[in-house]
Amino acid sequence: MHVDVGDSILRLALATGARSLVVVGTGKNVGKTVAMRAIYRAALAQGIAPGLTSIGRDGEAIDVGDSQTKPRLFLRAGTSLATARDVLPATPASEILELSRLQTAAGSLVYARVRSDAYYELVGPPTASGLRESIDTLLHHTNYAIVDGAIDRIAALAGGSDAVVVSCGASASSTMEEAVADVRALVARLCVPRFDGTEPAIHIEGALTPSRIAELIREREERAIVVRDPTQIALTGRAALHALERLRIRCEREIRVVAVTVASIGRDRTFEPRLFAHAVAEATGVPTFDVYASERAA
Amino acid sequence: MKTGGLLDDLSARALEFRWLRETLTPASAYGDRVFERCVPFVRGEEGQAAARARRIAAIASALNRETLDAMREIFRNVPDAASAIARASMGDVLSDANLLELQRFFDACIRFNTLAYGVDALPETATEAIVECSRRLELGRAGKFGFYLADGFDSTLGGARAALAQAQAEYDAVRGRTTAEVARQLGREVEGNEFVVMRSDLNGALPAGVRVVREAPTYLLCEIEETDSTLAALERRDALATAAAGAEQTVRGALTDAVRSQAAALNAAAEAFGDADVLVAAARFAQTNDCTVAHIVPNATLRFSDGCFIPLALELEKEGRRFTKISIAIDDVAVLTGPNMGGKSVCLRTCGFIAVCAAFGLPVPASDATVALFSEIAWLGVGAEDEPGGLLSSFAREVVRLRDVLERDRRPLFVLLDEFARTTTPREGKALLVAVLKRLQSMGARGLSATHLAGVAASAGVRHFAVRGLRGIPERPATSDLHQALETLAASMDYTIEEVTDESATRSDAIALAALLGLDTQVVADAYDAME
Repeated sequence: MHVDVGDSILRLALATGARSLVVVGTGKNVGKTVAMRAIYRAALAQGIAPGLTSIGRDGEAIDVGDSQTKPRLFLRAGTSLATARDVLPATPASEILELSRLQTAAGSLVYARVRSDAYYELVGPPTASGLRESIDTLLHHTNYAIVDGAIDRIAALAGGSDAVVVSCGASASSTMEEAVADVRALVARLCVPRFDGTEPAIHIEGALTPSRIAELIREREERAIVVRDPTQIALTGRAALHALERLRIRCEREIRVVAVTVASIGRDRTFEPRLFAHAVAEATGVPTFDVYASERAA
Repeated sequence: MKTGGLLDDLSARALEFRWLRETLTPASAYGDRVFERCVPFVRGEEGQAAARARRIAAIASALNRETLDAMREIFRNVPDAASAIARASMGDVLSDANLLELQRFFDACIRFNTLAYGVDALPETATEAIVECSRRLELGRAGKFGFYLADGFDSTLGGARAALAQAQAEYDAVRGRTTAEVARQLGREVEGNEFVVMRSDLNGALPAGVRVVREAPTYLLCEIEETDSTLAALERRDALATAAAGAEQTVRGALTDAVRSQAAALNAAAEAFGDADVLVAAARFAQTNDCTVAHIVPNATLRFSDGCFIPLALELEKEGRRFTKISIAIDDVAVLTGPNMGGKSVCLRTCGFIAVCAAFGLPVPASDATVALFSEIAWLGVGAEDEPGGLLSSFAREVVRLRDVLERDRRPLFVLLDEFARTTTPREGKALLVAVLKRLQSMGARGLSATHLAGVAASAGVRHFAVRGLRGIPERPATSDLHQALETLAASMDYTIEEVTDESATRSDAIALAALLGLDTQVVADAYDAME
């Protein structure tokens, strides 16, 4: 089914009432930035001049990790952004909104507003607290914030009330089955239900570690295991799925996963687009979109 | 703020130097640089030390707490423009973020100067250079805290930007028409540079202007081709982008030149601003703690009335208790005796703390004080033994530290001995302590030695101070609540320190104290019996 992917995801995100949206991924080069760009364009089309940032480094022309070309962010006048001052283009000049003491991989963070359309690179703060601060500051200057996430920074979602989009793709896994299993595990982990307070429970301070999980499974624990939020569950992949099946893990603060995007084109392999999107939609139960094909999985 | 040779690590710990440093820590990077260079005044600099303390006291008395806090807020929020000034002076063209840093710094200097109006003890921060450079950047002010290289800075800038915006719009239009046509023919949205077309969706060939990047059995990965018209529009846009970039850089260059020409004056203003930050922090300290300017004198002495060891006073305040102020005069070496929990160690710490404050040119926590600038303040004994011992016993560590202090022989030396040699036999401990006091006397050192050993002052031929001690045997509290026991003790204890000549003043009230603290009553009774 052909759709305007960016617009569809943005509507799902806005429906949650969240003022910020974070795109996270199951791996590198799984279409996070492409998804973010589509959502950004949809926001502009709706008359929203959003604020953009990233968790760590993203949006650069060349991936600094593997030297491959990456989709760049062409930002329109009126867009606000939080990025490292060392990557803020000197020209065309941006309006510098605020200086921050937060540090990034490329110098201290600045908040800027695009005055003339241009390509930008986003290098945001790498920590959860830094990200929260930068989103809050962006929301002083704009009504909506979009964050380009990172593979290893799920923890940065902690403490927020963002809508979350999960991106997965052929680049991150050897087979389609593995890619589907990975995204299923991530979505299942992020979508841990809220603790309703009515049942016996064990409250976990800090991270729910693999050893603690193994111990609880061994003890055939039947009470609810309550973590502060899903980022506290320190398990990924099949181990996470196993834990979620065996234990009643709940959270005090939910994360709202509104959509999944698929990128069937990887650098080393491709998956059949519709088959992949369909399998991801079935496995996650979350609205799934192919940004490249402009389709929503049936 | 560095101790220099004034305090070694253990003495600094015993006298809560870290607390003092944290309390005096400035709020800005400018202040940090000045603070980093703060070292104790040394003998011969009595005039400077006293002048600094007077300056701080004058600020504390001229400004109320709200104004000092408002100043502190200015320091806390100002970005560090030192690197921008340095870059400009070395020929770099400043970035817009640098220009914003400078603008915020200039604003802070001007705002601070307004708050400091009429207070001569504070440095002038809104200097001519600051005002002039601020005026040059004024056009760039954007919003409350922002900066933008505004068109008004240069007559060509607006035109160059308008031309670029027009070229961008033309390119967007040309490119957009092609993309829209492709989308129309495919019957779907086309997102981004690359997009997938399913073979099953294709009725015939791909639309014109679409290039296949990669083929797969079920789909094609495509991108929109650049046409002659989009390429021409792109070329025009790029040329105008270069022109606009040049115009912007010209403006930045001119603004940088203005900063460069005033670099020396701006650096001086930054230094004054940092100095003001340090002084304001010190004035808050002085105001909060009712400090007074000490008479800084060349002859080695330490005399004060109503002195206070602030870190302990704050701790007591949290518990709802009050620090009993201390008055003492030390012109030589003296012995201090008194009961356990009677405040001997606190007296020593108060002496050391006041001497440290004076050494840094700070008003001191006392109603009146006369203090010398000591070359070293050394703490020996209880409170200094918690360093890793290695192979040395606590007695051996004390002796090694004493040896080091005597070898350094920094004059004038101020020594605080807290129950020195308490871990050896009373007989030998006393002999050693007497010998040490005599040696210190012969060195011309000043100091106070708290001890439970009887007859030390007389044997060493030094003055003897004593804490008055318990007014009677306090009632043991009904419960074993420690807090209540301490309150009862505080109510029963007379912390007054007075010079005595009678050796019977060496009392410890240890058994009464043990009873008060809840020791088994039979053990207490047996102890009293044993005393008989």
